[in-house]
Amino acid sequence: MRAEWGARLLVVLGAVGLAVLTVFAVRVPADAVELRGRMADDGGWTPGAIMARVGEPLTLRMTSDDVVHGFAIGQSARPAVDLLPGAWITTTVTFDQPGKYTYYCTRWCGPNHWRMRGTIDVAGPGMRAPADSVPLFLRLKLDLDQAHPSDVVPTETPAAARADGLLAAVALESGDLRTQSPVQVWRTLRKRPANTGLTDRQLWDEVAAVWRAATSPERLAEGRRLYGDNCAACHGETGRGDGVMAKSLAAGPAANSMVGEHTGMPGMSGHGTVAPTDFTNRRNMLGASAAFLQGKIIRGGMGTGMPYWGPIFTESQLWALVDYLWTFQFDYGSSAGSSAASRTKRDSASKPATRPH
Amino acid sequence: MKRSRVITTALVFALGAGVVAFAPLPGASVKPANRRFRVEASSFKYAPATIKANVGDHVTIDLVSTDVVHGLYVDGYDVSVTADPGRTASLSFVANRAGMFRLRCSVTCGAMHPFMLGKLHVGRNDLLWRALALALLAGLVGVSLAPMRGVRT
Repeated sequence: MRAEWGARLLVVLGAVGLAVLTVFAVRVPADAVELRGRMADDGGWTPGAIMARVGEPLTLRMTSDDVVHGFAIGQSARPAVDLLPGAWITTTVTFDQPGKYTYYCTRWCGPNHWRMRGTIDVAGPGMRAPADSVPLFLRLKLDLDQAHPSDVVPTETPAAARADGLLAAVALESGDLRTQSPVQVWRTLRKRPANTGLTDRQLWDEVAAVWRAATSPERLAEGRRLYGDNCAACHGETGRGDGVMAKSLAAGPAANSMVGEHTGMPGMSGHGTVAPTDFTNRRNMLGASAAFLQGKIIRGGMGTGMPYWGPIFTESQLWALVDYLWTFQFDYGSSAGSSAASRTKRDSASKPATRPH
Repeated sequence: MKRSRVITTALVFALGAGVVAFAPLPGASVKPANRRFRVEASSFKYAPATIKANVGDHVTIDLVSTDVVHGLYVDGYDVSVTADPGRTASLSFVANRAGMFRLRCSVTCGAMHPFMLGKLHVGRNDLLWRALALALLAGLVGVSLAPMRGVRT
């Protein structure tokens, strides 16, 4: 009889102990938001919208359900976090200003990678800091859908190294360079009586020097990094519009759309796609101003498949990216350090090997 | 008399088998070269799926991902590389081990990820040729000994 009671006690103690252990073993911050990443075609982020309050830490417990994704918050300096299938990662974010923030995937996860975005609504006291100044293209009232061919094009890549740079100062006097296309500056230089002795090619080299003087190696490096992470998959590592995703984009309207194919009117739905822009095309690029290019990046392509990056990049990141785009047109020489021509490939051979799993 | 013939035949063939299995082959003395391959990775295959090099070659693989993040791990060499779409990644190593090695994807890339495989051939496949020669030899043994057994019964 006593032995039986002892056995019963053992069973009850075991059951209670197991329950207590379970609670401790899988303890998760009580207020953690579980965030799962999936390819955009399979649903993207779950949940797609998160609420938070100013000053209160928001804990995110994240994983991926299919392939490698990344998590980052737009216009924030917080580094991106990689989400690996089968692994949970916890991060805490605190917002000090109310507003609407965009979180987005940072690792290419298919042609619709860029659609993988969600929003965090941060409520609370305080005013949202005045939004970034109105983008230049809006202040200039630029029509981003207008063709912008350059009627004069150089026969070879203008090289800043060949120019003496004397004209750079002159050109800079003629107003904000970001609002002018290279061909406009070239015309300004051409019209000056002092330049009649210079050939067209020499003047193009001067334009390249003017453009190089307006940027810095640091900004070009930053632009190059952003381009590689976000643009090269479609526009190509060499800027020719021949990236690995380009094939599916050129396949015609609605090839990748999630809406267009159902409406049967891809052109009308604004979900069609066209081949990515070739940044090495002189006629097209030399007729565009930096403000115009920045506008395109902020707003996106409207029915071309080009995503809108307004909520993602900061003002300075946008200008760095535009600065880098000019390296597909101008040869800044090795002093610039990051011209498209002198790109080196990442060599990961020295890193420890990642075993397949 | 017959018994000794069987023993002699067996000895001769055993010696032959030893030679076939262990004799050093005249190494194809190829000068080590730099070999560069462009391998496109998509779900769930490599193109090309088979790459070949000679022993001692300096092999560079440019891995281009065309849809999601993929990796490439070389069995036996224990080297790997990861490529995001839009960022070609390179892997360099000296192919100093002969044989056939598996290439595997090292980044979980979807449901069929474990079956994303390729091959690296380094040098001549000696093992295959030796095995074939041994099989041939075994066949010959069978043919030459079978009539004798027939006589005995």
